[in-house]
Amino acid sequence: MTDPIPQCVFRAEDERYTLADYQGEEPRWCTGCGDNAILAAVQRLCRDEQLPPERTVFVSGIGCSSRFPHYMNGYGFHGIHGRSLPVAEGIKMARPDLHVFVSTGDGDCCSIGTAHWIHAIRYNMDMTVMLHDNRVYGLTKMQVSPTSPQGLQTKTTPRGAYLEPLNPLTVTLGVANASFVAQAVDWIPELMHDIIESAFHHKGFSFIRVLQRCPEFLPDMFEPWVQDPAKTLLLVHEDGLQPSPSLSKTYKNQEAHDPADLTRAREIASVEDPIPVGILYRNDDMPRYEEIRPTDRSYTPDTIKGALEAELDKFTIAPANGGEDEDTAKP
Amino acid sequence: MSAEILELAGGKSPDAKLGGDRDGAAKITPRPALLAGYWNLTELRYDYPLVLVADDTGVSPVRSLTAVIDGVLREIAPRGAEGEAARKHVLGIEREIRGLLSADAGGTLSELWGRAKNTLLARAEGAAADVLKENLDRARSALAYDGEMVDCGAETADTLIEHIWKAVQADKIRRLRGKIEILALRLSDILKADAMQSAEARDAESLERSVGTSFRDSFDFEAMSRLLIEAPAGDPLPEERRRRIGDALSVLDSQKFFAPWDGGEDTETYTFLFDSCAAAAEAFQARVAEMVALVKAISIAELEVENGYRESKHDPLFSGFDENALSPEDIASFPSYLVRLSAGRCEPAEKAHLIELLSSDLPVKILARSDDLLEGLSGKRFSFGAGMSDLASLALGQNNAYVLQSTASHLYQLRDRIVDGLTCPGPALFSVFSGSAGSNPDLPPYLVAAAAMEARAFPAFTYDPAAGADWAARFEVTGNPQAEADWPTHRLSYADQDLQTIAQDFAFTFVDFVACDPRYAQCFEPVPADGSDAALVPVSEFIDPEAEQAAEAVPYVMLLEDGGLVRKAVVDGRLIRAARRCRERWRSLQELGGIDNSHARNLLASARQAWEDEKERELAVLKGRPVEEPEAPTAEPAPAEAEAPIEEAPEEVLEEPAGDDPYIETPRCTTCDECTEINNAMFAYDDNRQAYIANPDGGTYREMVEAAESCQVAIIHPGKPRNPNEPGLEELIQRAESFM
Repeated sequence: MTDPIPQCVFRAEDERYTLADYQGEEPRWCTGCGDNAILAAVQRLCRDEQLPPERTVFVSGIGCSSRFPHYMNGYGFHGIHGRSLPVAEGIKMARPDLHVFVSTGDGDCCSIGTAHWIHAIRYNMDMTVMLHDNRVYGLTKMQVSPTSPQGLQTKTTPRGAYLEPLNPLTVTLGVANASFVAQAVDWIPELMHDIIESAFHHKGFSFIRVLQRCPEFLPDMFEPWVQDPAKTLLLVHEDGLQPSPSLSKTYKNQEAHDPADLTRAREIASVEDPIPVGILYRNDDMPRYEEIRPTDRSYTPDTIKGALEAELDKFTIAPANGGEDEDTAKP
Repeated sequence: MSAEILELAGGKSPDAKLGGDRDGAAKITPRPALLAGYWNLTELRYDYPLVLVADDTGVSPVRSLTAVIDGVLREIAPRGAEGEAARKHVLGIEREIRGLLSADAGGTLSELWGRAKNTLLARAEGAAADVLKENLDRARSALAYDGEMVDCGAETADTLIEHIWKAVQADKIRRLRGKIEILALRLSDILKADAMQSAEARDAESLERSVGTSFRDSFDFEAMSRLLIEAPAGDPLPEERRRRIGDALSVLDSQKFFAPWDGGEDTETYTFLFDSCAAAAEAFQARVAEMVALVKAISIAELEVENGYRESKHDPLFSGFDENALSPEDIASFPSYLVRLSAGRCEPAEKAHLIELLSSDLPVKILARSDDLLEGLSGKRFSFGAGMSDLASLALGQNNAYVLQSTASHLYQLRDRIVDGLTCPGPALFSVFSGSAGSNPDLPPYLVAAAAMEARAFPAFTYDPAAGADWAARFEVTGNPQAEADWPTHRLSYADQDLQTIAQDFAFTFVDFVACDPRYAQCFEPVPADGSDAALVPVSEFIDPEAEQAAEAVPYVMLLEDGGLVRKAVVDGRLIRAARRCRERWRSLQELGGIDNSHARNLLASARQAWEDEKERELAVLKGRPVEEPEAPTAEPAPAEAEAPIEEAPEEVLEEPAGDDPYIETPRCTTCDECTEINNAMFAYDDNRQAYIANPDGGTYREMVEAAESCQVAIIHPGKPRNPNEPGLEELIQRAESFM
């Protein structure tokens, strides 16, 4: 309402947030784990955008990646396996003013949480979703994951994984209302930061698959790509990523890809080698569920209680004699 | 023939001119012939009756029955012969509903539909009744709207504007209430979070209370309390802040401007509906202090929930927060006041209040209704425009308020403008002529109102101060029929004595409007059917200043006699004068609305004159001198813009300090902690949490090489050993080779 204070007074008063303001507990991930790179990029984003920590929520399910909320200084919800997205949707619906981030792993998202994932894409609610995809279950000490390559020997597939892996990018791009799909790799931090930044600014469900290394259980999985820049395809466009000249000097394998081009995005998504990195698809005009179904009233504990009681009253069974003699009415 | 009628023709008796022998005592019931086709309104499909749509979305709060029925027909009756039966039945029920309403029946559309359906079914027989029933049932289920129905009458403007106002008001209240409730919730959350940290909240008893009854026995609340009390608690809220939040919360909770969501019944709230400007102004004044307190509480709450309240800055600002701190936006976010002035004359004191309100910033919406434009005959004076009907012109002079003038017949067409006036933040005046003076019981109010609009007796216009900076943007007269003309013209077809059809265009003038009113019957003198009418000219022509008149010209209008005969009637001179005044008023409105504006006309004329003079001068020059060849275009093309050398962006050069110093390609660091785990004095993270060499002497060359080897992205370059005495150097240098 009335804002009698000039904005400049506020700015002069308020301290700027530094990276340390977003640091929660000390991370317990293994050294060399790609989760660290994602954490650093998200903390940088929060600092660059000067997001008040109390305005951020980090939601996760179960897995190494899902320890993410503990390491951020903001609101966090380390939830149940596969259910990070419904929780995040509920938060966004009730508190559209909060910045919602979701960290989920290849098991959490692509196995037990697949149903929620598909429908969250369709709901297209404004949140930044990072799929930490190391292609193995690390928390349970090397079990096969839906994204494990065929033939990968794990504790649960000693004779090698039997099935072709699931491709999270093609799945996402195949769902109605998909509005932002990108792929990042943990070993190119500059691009990871740029992609997360674009995802954050996109109004809608921003899905980033981050290919990340698991130094403990799959130390060599991405070695060929880490060592040979030619095996990475950078997607560049004036509406997408614009890598720095120095990075372009190293990563010369580039394709000008318009993120509005869904057909080409689907083609690129299905390529495994070279690994595409960048924004595959973006559509700012997709409807968002929180806008389609906004609520203009606040749910106080009293109104919730009232509504529940009104609902439960529907099941009240009136005693046959009008309640005058309760004892006889009971069975 | 009365002396007054003689006066109109300059003292000469029309009888003498026309050679008639009409008995002056026989008077006809005056009815303008141009309205002949509209007599039976229940048979016609037009804007009325209206459905006051009963939902609180505020989207199109009013619909005409015709539009609703058209929607139904589109749904259930396909074009062509196939949909014929359904179309006939649905249009039949529409006619029936119209008839019920004109017979003073009230109710909602669904109620009237039910009654009309029963009537129709009672009339039908056998198989036809079954088809009729089926079609009507299908149509009923396709009805998209329901709500109270109103026909055009004395109360229409009041009912309609109040209905739209309520929809606008509900929307406004919903927004303000949503905002206040969320702020109150957040403030109480802050207090609750603070309370949860207190020792009382952690004692066994309150823990037990919070668990409920079902599993009470499963807990040891004493143990739980001991554990919780040991756990570290945050700092309690400062006393001053807790008091501030509590104060704001109590103001938010106790406001009386609207009821909360659920507790509507027992909460006392203010009324915003008044019947005089004085009462509305008084009520506003009485509530100002409370309004200031609420705005202040909202502002404080907004700062508090953002944790942005700084006592050093904000305390002085809020301590001096008074009426002057209220911005127009603040006031506009509160409910608006609707004043419905009673029809009739506006007393001078009330008029003064009205002017004061219209020149203020307050959200006051005033409805001034006139029922009779033609009062004042008893005093033998025509005082057109007295009473309430001139309020709109008066309000225009304030240049501040939203002004809408219209007759009741055209309110539906102007519904969007009514919404505009009711939603605009400032004051608004709606001046409406209802047409229900009741002096002509045969004529429905709708026709009288429409006639007033046609005759320019009560033209429609809107003035919206928010629409732009000038009159062209703000003022509109577009609602009027044939707004470009002095009077709208219509074709009148009738049969003459020889049963030959005559079709002639007539203007519908102010005189035609007066002809609707039996009180003025004596102002019209029918011309005998067999009389010579050579000197008669239509009124519009007679009073047209641009038309040349013969000295003996006599004005007439076409009237309809009982029995359906069309007859010319000579018009009283005072009516002619009134018609001239009416046209003058209309012309000045036209000018304001940009139609044939005299300033523009003069400007155009002088510009044209200047242009012609200029051309003439040029012509004279050309005639006086041989014509010069027009200058050849310059042969030399403009020098092409020197192509700027495309500047290549200077390539960002990666810092690669040559030589023996160790370095890290920091931008490529993935924050994997490998190097910092090895030695966090030698390696550290920068502001972006990417590694750099903080101190090359902070560890051994062995650590440097091991870090390079363990770095996942191989960005650590160990350089040369800094301590030549370190053991095993030879092997380390060899291992470092691949990272150089």
